[in-house]
Amino acid sequence: MSIKSFKGGIHPPERKDATRNLPVEARFPSTKLVWIPVTQGGAPNKPLVSVGDSVARGQKIAESDAFMSAPVHASVAGTVKKIETHLVTGNVDVPCIVIEADGSDRTAFLSPLDPFTATREESLARVREAGLVGMGGASFPTHVKLNPPKGAKIDYLLANGAECEPYLTIDARIMEEDAAKVVDGVAIAMHITGAAEGIIVLEENKADLVPVLEAAAAKLRENPVGPGACKISVALCKTKYPQGGEKMLIKAVTGREVPSGGLPSAAGCVVQNVGTLKALSEAFREGKPLIERGLTISGGACATPKNILVPIGTLVGDLIPEVVTLNPGVAKIISGGPMMGFAMKSASFPVQKNTSGVLFLTAKETALVDEDPCIGCGRCISVCSCRLAPVLIARAVKAGNLEEAKRCGLMDCVECGTCAYVCPARVKLVQHFRIGKLMVRTEMAKQAAKKAAAGTDTKGAK
Amino acid sequence: MGESDKNEIYLSSSPHYASPISTRHVMFAVVAVLLPLALYGVWLFGLPALVTILASVVSCVAFEALFRKLTKQDIRVGDFSAVITGLLLALILPPATPVWMTVLGAFFAIVVAKEFFGGLGANVFNPALTGRAFLLVSFATPLTTWSAPFVADAISTATPLSVIKPVDGVVLSAGQIAQRTGFFSEGDLYLNLFLGQRAGCIGESGIFLILIAAVVLIAAKVIDWRAPVAMVATAVAVTWIAGIDPLLTVLTGGLLFGAVFMATDYATSPVTPLGRLVFGFGCGLITALIRVFGGYPEGVMFSILIMNALTPFLNRIIPKKYGWVKPAKKEKAVK
Repeated sequence: MSIKSFKGGIHPPERKDATRNLPVEARFPSTKLVWIPVTQGGAPNKPLVSVGDSVARGQKIAESDAFMSAPVHASVAGTVKKIETHLVTGNVDVPCIVIEADGSDRTAFLSPLDPFTATREESLARVREAGLVGMGGASFPTHVKLNPPKGAKIDYLLANGAECEPYLTIDARIMEEDAAKVVDGVAIAMHITGAAEGIIVLEENKADLVPVLEAAAAKLRENPVGPGACKISVALCKTKYPQGGEKMLIKAVTGREVPSGGLPSAAGCVVQNVGTLKALSEAFREGKPLIERGLTISGGACATPKNILVPIGTLVGDLIPEVVTLNPGVAKIISGGPMMGFAMKSASFPVQKNTSGVLFLTAKETALVDEDPCIGCGRCISVCSCRLAPVLIARAVKAGNLEEAKRCGLMDCVECGTCAYVCPARVKLVQHFRIGKLMVRTEMAKQAAKKAAAGTDTKGAK
Repeated sequence: MGESDKNEIYLSSSPHYASPISTRHVMFAVVAVLLPLALYGVWLFGLPALVTILASVVSCVAFEALFRKLTKQDIRVGDFSAVITGLLLALILPPATPVWMTVLGAFFAIVVAKEFFGGLGANVFNPALTGRAFLLVSFATPLTTWSAPFVADAISTATPLSVIKPVDGVVLSAGQIAQRTGFFSEGDLYLNLFLGQRAGCIGESGIFLILIAAVVLIAAKVIDWRAPVAMVATAVAVTWIAGIDPLLTVLTGGLLFGAVFMATDYATSPVTPLGRLVFGFGCGLITALIRVFGGYPEGVMFSILIMNALTPFLNRIIPKKYGWVKPAKKEKAVK
């Protein structure tokens, strides 16, 4: 098996050993409460339930009419206690529906649907109705991703099992424990998108999963459930960060590049995280909406690292200390991985559809250092996964020269953090880029407003 | 609750992970490969070389600390940057440079060339080279008075480089040069140059040590190969066209030292891969032109300083971005 790769990237310490071989445990805190954010990916939803309502597990509790939206479902059966704001990933307070579980298993799933006899429209409607969003981190509505713009021909459906973030092992566990569902999800997504080939992409450090996935794919071939199921294979990529980035994955596996500002479909690819594909299979076969997810809890300040499966809306703080115990010296609480995750001010935030892990890091593990002056060594340029010039972008942003920043690739930056990782001067490059992007967007909005104002002025003059 | 129970949670933008390699490590690596060169220089040229090296390093560090204290900035002696400037400056000075002159050069390097421009990483011109250029144009005679190796007194000795220089268009062969500089044969000349057994600056002569340093720094990814390789290759090619023995071009003067330690200076050379190639090419070309046609025997210092001024422009040569689309396509979309 040839090892695929892309140019650039880094190899930070993986630290996956703590949880790699621990099976996913289903857990629920004794507080019996879930705080389900009303919107989790896509356009803002509106609650469909009121305080005091009794809800069943899987019942839709919030949705929006917008195409680019995904509904949210009750993850436990019980009573709606309140609808109020709560801290979520990103350190913002957003409206959440609080449900107290009554311990019953009343469910309100959708009816199973055969993805290979259903029409494309029916299938896409099912994906949306099940509230599927990208579980790898972006929480982009899956039905939108599976419905590429007209004229785009999809050649490859790439199942993203790279899991290049250090510490995180949940995707590896999903592939190990639910290989059949992942492969089934690939077949379904291929059928919907019309992709000729499905490739499950892993980093080399998960090479032990290749036989597991190949066996699952072979089993699917024995009982072909639909056309296309025969063309599912497994590909290995070099273990390096950010191999799991959509753009890098496409480049490594197909050699193609997503055009600047364009969608992966422009390169003939649709990329789905393996967790999302498992959920896709369940949405059809069991009619199960996206109401629970597995995640890795780890980090040097976590005494009991593990992979757990919890209902969406479970507060991480409620798991402490029943499920997770901490060591003294927690310096950072991270929602996600150490490279792209979000530093949280408290552990009291709900697990959402895109929460792939929560890390409790000690001061020693994390980079608690001040910025030094840039020495111009150019390391950031040699590792940039998008072949940009991070140091030059940062200098241009600092100088307020947004045109130059854009020329050097500001808007092409995927914020993977590779440049900041290698910077010997610890320059907070990604932070500068985020500020720069904000400046560009503000400038664009200002110009749009100016244009609009000019338009009404001329109208008024007439 | 005691102070130790206080738990502080830190917030910051991602990433929350950093490579253990810091500025200090990078600088220390350069100091580590410069030290053998300095020691070799002391072995060759004796006490005067040691005095020059110490004077340069101590005054560079002191000037930096003093300037930053006077201007109320944090003192950054711990990053070894001033130590490197001090070492580099000493290694490109004649062994018997008067101490007060070395100190003046260090002042010019650190205060004028570096701190006036904003300190570490912000300087436009290479500090050590600027310091030396200042001394050379101010005190031409002591700066071109070379001592032969293993001779206690500094007397004006001809360097091989000054003999190589074409006079009235007449280029000497390696054999003739060997004769004029007191070597037995061509091979003897090459070997002695390779081992640094010749009159010259303290650190420029030990070619084999510079080569080892280059390999170590490139392998450890401290420096990029592009600028030095392009510089040496261009200088050799151009001087070869002028009829000068290619091996002598590399073995004499400060070409190799400049290519490895000066053309790779982070702050004053380009950061982009292609920019570095062009930078090296420019340095090599100007060096060769000065060596063949210029008023000075050596052109390395001026070539790098001239190219330093072009660095901001060379930084405009950025790599081809991922997913880059030809702007022509955009025009079509507009239509």
